[in-house]
Amino acid sequence: MTHIRPAHDVVGRPTPLIDGIEKVTGQAHYTADLPAAGALVGRILRSPFAHARIRAIDTEAARALPGVHAVITGEDCDQTYGVLPIAMNEYPLARGRVRYCGEPVVAVAAVDEATAAAALRLIRLDVEELPAYFTAAEARTPDAVLLHDDKPGNVERAVHHRFGDVEAGFAAADLVREQVFRCAEIAHAQMELNAALVSYDHDRDQLTIWSTTQVPYYVHLMLARCLGMDMSRIRVIKPFVGGGFGARVEVLNFEIITALLARAAGGTVRMVLSREGTFLTHRGRPETEIRLKLGMMRSGRLTACACEVIQRGGAYAGYGIVTILYAGALLHGLYDIPAITYDGWRVYANLPPCGAMRGHGTVDVRFAFESLLDSMATEAGLDPIAVRRANLLAAPTETANGLRVESYGLGECLDWVEQASGWRERRGRLGAARGLGMACSHYVSGAAKPIHWTGEPHAVVHLRLDFDGGLTLLTGAADIGQGSSTVMAQAAAEVLGVHLDRVRVVAADSMLTPKDNGSYSSRVTFMVGNATIDAARALRERLLAAAAEKLGVAVTEVEDSHEHFRRAGDNAAGLSFAEVTQAALAREGGAITVKGTFSCPLEFQGGKHRGGAVGAAMGFSYAAQAVEVSVDEDTGMVAVEKIWVAQDCGFAINPLAVEGQMQGAVWMGMGQAIGEETRYENGLAMHASLLDYRMPTSVESPPIDVHIVESRDPNGPFGAKEASEGALAGFLPALINAIADAVGLRLDTLPATPDRVLEALAKRQRAARLARAMQERA
Amino acid sequence: METLPPFRVATPATIAEAVAAAQESRAARFIAGGTDLMVNLRHGIGAPDVLIDLRGIVDLHGVWTDLAGTTVGAAVTLAELAGDAALAARYPAVAEAAAAVGAPAHREAGTVGGNLCLDTRCVFYNRSAWWREANGFCLKHQGSVCHVAPTGTRCHAAFSGDLAPALLVHDATVEIAGPQGLRRQALDALYAEDGAAHLRLAPGEFLTRVILPADSARSAYAKARARAAIDFPLAGVAVALRAEAGRVAALRVAITGTNARPLLLAGTEALLGAAVDVDAAWLERLGKLVQKQVQPMRTTLLAAQYRRRVAAALAQRLAATLAGAASQAHAA
Repeated sequence: MTHIRPAHDVVGRPTPLIDGIEKVTGQAHYTADLPAAGALVGRILRSPFAHARIRAIDTEAARALPGVHAVITGEDCDQTYGVLPIAMNEYPLARGRVRYCGEPVVAVAAVDEATAAAALRLIRLDVEELPAYFTAAEARTPDAVLLHDDKPGNVERAVHHRFGDVEAGFAAADLVREQVFRCAEIAHAQMELNAALVSYDHDRDQLTIWSTTQVPYYVHLMLARCLGMDMSRIRVIKPFVGGGFGARVEVLNFEIITALLARAAGGTVRMVLSREGTFLTHRGRPETEIRLKLGMMRSGRLTACACEVIQRGGAYAGYGIVTILYAGALLHGLYDIPAITYDGWRVYANLPPCGAMRGHGTVDVRFAFESLLDSMATEAGLDPIAVRRANLLAAPTETANGLRVESYGLGECLDWVEQASGWRERRGRLGAARGLGMACSHYVSGAAKPIHWTGEPHAVVHLRLDFDGGLTLLTGAADIGQGSSTVMAQAAAEVLGVHLDRVRVVAADSMLTPKDNGSYSSRVTFMVGNATIDAARALRERLLAAAAEKLGVAVTEVEDSHEHFRRAGDNAAGLSFAEVTQAALAREGGAITVKGTFSCPLEFQGGKHRGGAVGAAMGFSYAAQAVEVSVDEDTGMVAVEKIWVAQDCGFAINPLAVEGQMQGAVWMGMGQAIGEETRYENGLAMHASLLDYRMPTSVESPPIDVHIVESRDPNGPFGAKEASEGALAGFLPALINAIADAVGLRLDTLPATPDRVLEALAKRQRAARLARAMQERA
Repeated sequence: METLPPFRVATPATIAEAVAAAQESRAARFIAGGTDLMVNLRHGIGAPDVLIDLRGIVDLHGVWTDLAGTTVGAAVTLAELAGDAALAARYPAVAEAAAAVGAPAHREAGTVGGNLCLDTRCVFYNRSAWWREANGFCLKHQGSVCHVAPTGTRCHAAFSGDLAPALLVHDATVEIAGPQGLRRQALDALYAEDGAAHLRLAPGEFLTRVILPADSARSAYAKARARAAIDFPLAGVAVALRAEAGRVAALRVAITGTNARPLLLAGTEALLGAAVDVDAAWLERLGKLVQKQVQPMRTTLLAAQYRRRVAAALAQRLAATLAGAASQAHAA
């Protein structure tokens, strides 16, 4: 399709991010730093109750406090919001009921922080408490009070997918094993606190929001809905963003609340949440229980897979339906498995809502799968890498659930990891309490079906050329640190044969840039990249036509390279980029703006079964990794000594960014595997600080050797696919497999915190002692 | 960001000025690095009208060593202490403990006095004002129930300073300034086993110095924590061991993170006299002593039982290492 071979040298070269200088020199303005003289301070009163009916809210004293400009409650917005049109069941401020500790109930805008805080203290909530449920099992008991009246059993969505004859597969298998795995809920812990700045122009009824978002378009949609404003009266700007990881792929309550406050106050309001408030907004990876059964032949070939997943989704729908569908859909597409059944339940509970997080829906299931596969390999006396090799797909192919795999570099990833980690020579020979483990994983390159289907292309890019010879690329794509603006600039420069710094990117300002669905599901490089190539090609045609006219030759005779146009084979001077620009502008009647688009063909949009769109993509990334650990058997501490990770990202448009993204992905997987977890005490978050939410420090961060595999996907821009999510999931099982290699202990629960490891070691010791005692008695 | 309460900052230049400043207000608090205090203030714990910054007092700085021992000023930073090679040679556990506190930024700001006077910690206490109110407050502050032990009558918040156990095994004395002038007492006497009142300091008193007697015992500190930086100790163990003629002649063990006060292990004299190439049974006895005396409660997110186990394991590991070194020295 838009697969073109790089002709120049802009793509495929390690390229520092074009907005990197501002970041590393501290000049970049993030939302909380934006100058806004006279902005009011917004603050939120959060529910101290996990589940309660609201009888009354007394805000009179708060409203009367000097310096308070606005006080709003659920009365001020009767519109629900959410990310999925079929599951919008959340109000920006609670109406009638609160469903989790920390849910926003009242918001104030005041002249300063102290006044806003004082106003919150004057507000009185009158409630009737209801039974609250903090586990999926409690919420699913038959007599449990429903969190949402239209969701019987407190189940947001049950999924039952059947592909192939699983029973026959198990019957034919030489080895069948079944195990239950548990993963704690985790959060993104993005560095930048949630923040929004909203300016409301009362005279014109116009509103501008700057926010910490990955999805400016969804913010735009939901502000229009919740404020009852025409979309043309709203402008959404995404400034520099300090990390997303999925935390910001749906509109969040504080964004709508700040907008409501700004309108109520008739001015500008800045809301910066505390770290606790940011944690309470949540939308992280749900607590998950996985029951997995696999059938395997003596050769290592898989015959069947049956998987049950229960996700504790929190109090509102959010992305829940998509998460529970992803968990099943991506059982497919990594290996060739003849039969797969999947049963998933997304359950409500009185906790902050979960959402999308890097590796959305697939990570915990992949942990279970690769752990069980590894232990079965050991049991069967097979090498874990050989077992993976025995189950590789052959691209191009279509999986049982309708995923089309056009490129597949997993084999090469395995080869590199095996060699680089010294797998054959070193595994099992690392000495006491030290081990090697490995695992594979994959991810989509952009959800093939947009959540809000409008019939428009998946991505649109504008490219403008004016008298100065500067190329201005206008995109709605939200660069949140992943480097998408740099990739777009590279793609345009490559196609046009110009220097990278001739291209400047204007991104994510709804007044200037074409709509983009946002930075989620690793869609931007793939989709917006293809749209950029399309735009650059269109512009190049215009330039070639102008050059041909000026040179007095046919268009097909013009050769362009490195900002130089000449008749092919002619060694005469030819035309500079400036000369061709001038000629083109004269020919076209002034500044040229071209449009590039990308649409994902219907045949890539997934299977026909209910929920079949989730998991479908035009390309899948593949990763393999090996992890070396040491285990301190006295303290239960697990130290990650080294990671080797290879990923097939199709083609690395910016290898520097790809390496960084891969390192970030495995590091994030490491956080989930060794320490990160949310904890609640009667629904109150116990983890809502960077002290109690234990993401790894630099001390725990090992050297990560990265290898890029380039399978050149036929659909990807220059053959590129996803590069920042695929390697995450593999870390978790690779670690657990390495611990098994080190101390012969298989953990089925994450994270592998020292107390869990020590308890497991003690349990094993007790069991061994008991066995010895029994033996002696016998 | 949670807002700080309004306060004034006093910057005394002498100990006497600091004592006088404290007497001007009943709600004054002393501050040095502020790494503990500022977080609590942002959480709405305490509302001092004056913060008396002790860092400008020259007499609280410096480390001096003579034949009698070493004196450390209370305003010496943890980074300075951790980087003091002479001190590390004489009192290894002290330098190791200083280096184990928080992260580099905490150590640059945090001081010896601050770490010794660290507030006790608990998962029900180190929370925002909103959180604590939603949970009905607690015995330590503004409430009447201890959520860790609801039927009990005292606070179980855990002392979590790293330096105290290292100084305790070297038999440190502290100098305290106050309205009555300067006084000295054993560091051990600074603490009480009550999470809500663990420091035996009268109003207006503050630490000025720590005095370490000359000590030929070798020492070491080890800290159990989920992450190797930033975290407070789940259990921190200091051991000092002196060998004479191939026998264990002195053994002191102190533990932080498990009780409301740093705990100087009792009963170690029963382990004296053993050959320095200590055997498993000797270590087993030491482990039992630790397991018996530590009282970890549900004050951290990691299980209390883990802290008990790991405190014993670390004490055994350190004692074995120190004894091993002494054994080698004896053999040589």
